[in-house]
Amino acid sequence: MTRRLLLLACSLCLLAGMVAAVPCDGDGDGTLTAPELATAILDSLDARYMGGTVAAPSLTDLQDAAFVYEHWDGRALTITDTSGRTTTLTRPLNRIALFNSDAIRMMRSIGLEPDRVVGVAKYVLEDPVFYPEYQEKANLGSVWSPDYEQTASVRPDAVFLYASVSETSCADIEKTLRAIDPAIHFFRIDSFRPAVYADEVRTLGLLLGKEEEAREFLAFHEDVTGTVADVVDTIPDEDRVPVYLETWNAYKSAGMGSGYDEKVWLAGGRNIFGENPVEYPVVDPEAVISRNPAVIIKIVGAGETTFGGYDDDDLASFESVLRSIENRPVWDRIKAVRDGRVHLIHSKIIGGPDYFIGTAYLAKWFYPDLFADLDPRAIHQRYLDEFQRLDYDLDDHGTFVYPA
Amino acid sequence: MLNSSIVTPKRALLLCILVVVLAAPAAAGSIERTITPQEGGLDITLTVNDIPVGGIVETLPEGCTWMGTDHPEDRTRVSGEKVAFAIIGEETITYQVQGPQDAAEAFAGTWEDLLTGDSGVVGLDEPGNPEQADATTPPSTPGFGCAAALAALAVLCSRRCGR
Repeated sequence: MTRRLLLLACSLCLLAGMVAAVPCDGDGDGTLTAPELATAILDSLDARYMGGTVAAPSLTDLQDAAFVYEHWDGRALTITDTSGRTTTLTRPLNRIALFNSDAIRMMRSIGLEPDRVVGVAKYVLEDPVFYPEYQEKANLGSVWSPDYEQTASVRPDAVFLYASVSETSCADIEKTLRAIDPAIHFFRIDSFRPAVYADEVRTLGLLLGKEEEAREFLAFHEDVTGTVADVVDTIPDEDRVPVYLETWNAYKSAGMGSGYDEKVWLAGGRNIFGENPVEYPVVDPEAVISRNPAVIIKIVGAGETTFGGYDDDDLASFESVLRSIENRPVWDRIKAVRDGRVHLIHSKIIGGPDYFIGTAYLAKWFYPDLFADLDPRAIHQRYLDEFQRLDYDLDDHGTFVYPA
Repeated sequence: MLNSSIVTPKRALLLCILVVVLAAPAAAGSIERTITPQEGGLDITLTVNDIPVGGIVETLPEGCTWMGTDHPEDRTRVSGEKVAFAIIGEETITYQVQGPQDAAEAFAGTWEDLLTGDSGVVGLDEPGNPEQADATTPPSTPGFGCAAALAALAVLCSRRCGR
């Protein structure tokens, strides 16, 4: 019994020893104070430039300490991600692996330096027009087909996965990589769900030391979403425009609790299949006809409709899909078809972290009179210029909506 | 050692020009050095631009003696002709040296931004190669070159005007 207790105590001591300390925290009290940081800086300068022989921290420790002091008030940071998991950090994240290809856009919006990313999902590497600065990063595969060898080889200090997409696959990735390197931190964020979007931006801002950039980006985001909400919130539920939303596969709609259902609501519409308990139900064409939507929204850019976006300037495929919807048997009875209110929108601006551009388009399509002054294209261009920091002119390139 | 009587009108003009020209334009991650002649020595002001946490090492010219600084004592370390400053939120650091006023051109310094990893030469408005700062002569920079040219011009003008 005594031996067991001894073993337990030893184990606890070892565990306690494994809890990382804040670098350069001279007195070890868990808080890096200004005098402690100043001493560390002077010791380092002394050793490197002044011939001093005093024991100095490594440059890595010193830079990490500077980050912790400046961004986390000199203390360890404890954050809770979208999955509800709490993580404590004592150093900045500088070797980030991103299986969540949406998170990279959110991180770019708050100014994450690309050199802090060591690996990305394969989709990022397949899109050199939108992600030019990430083309030399390691290919981690995808959430569904991860490349563990490659991921381990880039020695990430953090791995970002989805919170509510492919949860089983993400759990498998986490389990496997944790077995390879127990020091890796795992974070689960979605980056595309409006309900948690602002919280995720703020969390990333704090986590990555980009608090001010996160505030600036959220001000822009809230300006757009607030402009729409101020108007649509005054519309009684029963007066909302009935909308049929179809994903990239024919007759596959969006049900209760899905991201697209939420986005239709945010834009002031009422999803005609919003009560369906299946997240993405395949619906009966007759059911669409009987529910007689005033607007039809078709998402393109994947599956059966892989065209458009940043690297496609040709609207011919948009026109073709629009005509095929209008020509579906008996769909000419649907109000949206009769009134010419069938719209196509690319998933790049409605399905991911750029969703607020898409909801601005939806709001304008749902209520053209109420949003006469809203200019979603200008919002899109500003987003690319100021937050994605891309040299990309929507006047010259890209196809995202049809008819515009 | 110089005293105030030695600061002639020509030299005063030259030093004033140096004060203006050595103050490089503000840019992200840079340190400007402004040198003002004082009785028996020089006042040196380092203006910190966008370096919230970092360090500076200044090398005093030969013949200059450290006198003191307004920077906190626990953020300053002096060793021979080298002076280290820890920057934690400060925007300016002023220190004084005793020595010849024409030593103003011979100060050298290097800085590090511990948040970005950038480093550079004091007096340049862009991050650069800090090894230049180890030279005992002023770094060969547009700022210094321009300062020297203007100073020479000022001396020439003042001589011609004096004729």
